[in-house]
Amino acid sequence: MRKPFITSLALATLAGLSFSSVLQAEENKTLNVYTYDSFASDWGPGPKIKANFEKECGCTLNYVTLDSSVGILSRVQLEGGSSKADVLLGLDLNLMKTAKDSGLIAEHQVDTSQVTTPGGWTDNSFVPFDQGYFAFIYNTETLKDVPKSLKEVVENQDLSIIYQDPRTSTPGLGLMLWMKSVYGDDADQAWQTLASHTKTVTKGWYDGYSMFLKGEADLVLSYTTSPAYHMVVENESKYQAVPASEGFYPQIEVAAQLKSAPNPVLANQFMAFILTQGFQSEVATGNWMFPVIELGDSLPKAFSGLEQPAKVLTLPADQVAVNRKQWINEWLDSVTQ
Amino acid sequence: MRVGALGSVFMMNMLPAILVILFFTLIGVASFAALLLFQDLSNWQQVLSSRYIWRLLNFSLWQAFLSSLISLLIAIPVTSALMHRRFWGRDTLLQLFSISLVVPTIVAILGIVVVYGQSGWITRATGVEIPLYGLFGILLAHVFFNMPLAVRILIQAHSLIPVGQWRLSYQLGFSRWNLFCWVEWPYLRKALPGAFLLIFMLCFSSFAVVLSLGGGPKSSTLEVAIYQALKFEFDIAKASVLSLLQVFVCSLVAVLVYRFAYHYQQDFSLKRLQNYPVKDSIQAKCFDIGFLVFALLILLPPFIAILTPVFSPLFIATLEQEATWSAFWVTIKIAVPSAAMSLGLAMAFVVVSRACMDRRGFAWLPSKLEYLGGIILILPSLVMATGLFLLLRNLGIAAFDLAYWVVVWVNAIMALPFVLRVVLPTFYQQEKRYRTLYQSLGIHGLARFRLEWPMVRQSVAQATAYALLLSLGDMSVIALFGSQGLTSLPLYLFQLIGSYRIEQGACIAVLLVIVCFALFSACNRVIGGKSNA
Repeated sequence: MRKPFITSLALATLAGLSFSSVLQAEENKTLNVYTYDSFASDWGPGPKIKANFEKECGCTLNYVTLDSSVGILSRVQLEGGSSKADVLLGLDLNLMKTAKDSGLIAEHQVDTSQVTTPGGWTDNSFVPFDQGYFAFIYNTETLKDVPKSLKEVVENQDLSIIYQDPRTSTPGLGLMLWMKSVYGDDADQAWQTLASHTKTVTKGWYDGYSMFLKGEADLVLSYTTSPAYHMVVENESKYQAVPASEGFYPQIEVAAQLKSAPNPVLANQFMAFILTQGFQSEVATGNWMFPVIELGDSLPKAFSGLEQPAKVLTLPADQVAVNRKQWINEWLDSVTQ
Repeated sequence: MRVGALGSVFMMNMLPAILVILFFTLIGVASFAALLLFQDLSNWQQVLSSRYIWRLLNFSLWQAFLSSLISLLIAIPVTSALMHRRFWGRDTLLQLFSISLVVPTIVAILGIVVVYGQSGWITRATGVEIPLYGLFGILLAHVFFNMPLAVRILIQAHSLIPVGQWRLSYQLGFSRWNLFCWVEWPYLRKALPGAFLLIFMLCFSSFAVVLSLGGGPKSSTLEVAIYQALKFEFDIAKASVLSLLQVFVCSLVAVLVYRFAYHYQQDFSLKRLQNYPVKDSIQAKCFDIGFLVFALLILLPPFIAILTPVFSPLFIATLEQEATWSAFWVTIKIAVPSAAMSLGLAMAFVVVSRACMDRRGFAWLPSKLEYLGGIILILPSLVMATGLFLLLRNLGIAAFDLAYWVVVWVNAIMALPFVLRVVLPTFYQQEKRYRTLYQSLGIHGLARFRLEWPMVRQSVAQATAYALLLSLGDMSVIALFGSQGLTSLPLYLFQLIGSYRIEQGACIAVLLVIVCFALFSACNRVIGGKSNA
């Protein structure tokens, strides 16, 4: 009579045991790369880069996807030294200081002399993998009165806007710095103005952009390069970037190797691979960003017709690192009023 | 029997149970201590000086207040109507009310998004855009979950009205309104404070609803802020201050709940009620029908919305995906052990409490143990998980290696108060009736268990089924500790809703509901025996 009960208990124990053994049975020749969702998705650059790298290394590249870019960093911080991650792919310039301060990042041995980012690249913890400029994207068929600057985007109450959370997403963080460099100490006022016609604040870029494509808002925060995707893949030129007379804010996305990487040899190899053709050529037509090395003529034509920054705004990296938390609180404070 | 003798006889038999309870208490205390350990004054100053935190607290309290108020305002007339009228489908309606109490939160949220969302039924049919994300969505979901709960509590209070009073009002020719004012209201009123506080506490600690329907930082609660502080900002100090703030408010409300909650007789059944007809009028009819239809309009559409995708081709496509099945297995791997663990913990509590029952020097213990078992009510699962995470971190153990066990453990504790509520009365009853008999015959241990099992298996089955349902639907701890290899169906569903893949989400919701139903019946069948199937 008791049997069924005992059987179910035994089953439960078995289930638990089999689960832990699944965790232990891990491949030795696997490189774990933590990245954000859109990078590893079927239409992102991930699958092709995976194929290219696996051909070279004779190993398996495994993407562990997180729902936002800043989430990659908080994830490894939560996991601490026991993280299974070898490489983090998808942080950006503005998170480098915080990431370095966590003490989890190893130095790389990659030669970055050929990197084409403005001013070259000297950082020895991070390797850049793509670059671009943040911009608001609109649909030319539905929006006629196009703003000409960030200020017009913020102040025109008729526009509905989607942007990303600066706590979770690097584009959101980028917008925060863009606002800061345009408005300075009046940024809190500007956030309030923007909040009154914000449709929603999404966790990651992908969620927000998908909503925009479904017609949920007039503008979405993305990149100047996003229209190229629609032109090349969909042969569709109705999506365009809003110009910014104040100047655009740049983003450089970076990768880093973890000190605790279970597979440091493969991690090293991958870090070097980032600056080769096999990775960079996929970045332009997969992540829809500019590559960070000279690729010659292989860049699609659509890229040349894009909105060009008349001026590039940048806040010094140390200032960003010191003030990031405070500015995020200022943002939280303003948008929740 | 003397205290000393009791000690020596029972201590040996109860030792394992006592150890289990001590272990349970130790983990609880240690994780709370880990939260406290992270405190220093500057943390508090920094967090408390932030206007955002005060706005959060404000919003948490405000939405909880509104949710309880609206739930009760609808529940009072609905209860009255339900208790007065006998109509076709009344039992089905009552069942619908019970189902909405146990349907996984995230599934109901999906239903609400399908009906009220941006490209949902209402917007498509009428063109009116509903501002779902924000306070409105939160209130809608909270009323969906808690109005039925309120109705069930009020029905209990309502049925305490003595038959004599019904007869009297019939003889006096009371109108429906008179009856409500002079007979029903005084009874309902007694149950209101307890019901209000209970719903208030549930909504104050609400997590999945606010996370999914809050729509940005503006409408966020403390519970969600704890999650964000850890997962978004990795700000442990902030997370622990917020957790303590949460515990403080929850304990305050919990104390009030215990103070005001209305105690009913245990064995009570709806069928005993005898109805005396009162003078009916058109107004009274309109009033009753109006409120019943209104309640149905809130409850029914999300349920229908959940079940529609069964007929879509996407359902099969989703079932063929690997992600679906891996989430399915993770769900089973979490729910089954945590239900078993919850039952094991409950049994330890049962063994110790009933041995102490009515014994000199120990009689105070059972009620205290019951409170201990309900610790999760003041330490919400997310706070408990945060504490455990910090505890493991302080011990130098990587919490993420143990993520699976943390989720199982917290789920087990989460279900414990409900399991205890079901099994304790049954075992107490057995003890009361047969304690001396067993003692005089010298039957104890396994032999006694064999004799008792047929008598208790039904309530054990019911308790386990409850625990299973709760862990199957859990979307709080898993949100914090879940990862690519540890994504349960509710978490997967949450991610799909988050990226607006509603159709695919609906398919997952159907699967989750089927799993819930299957495990629930299997549990009742296997443990509860044939008569219960």
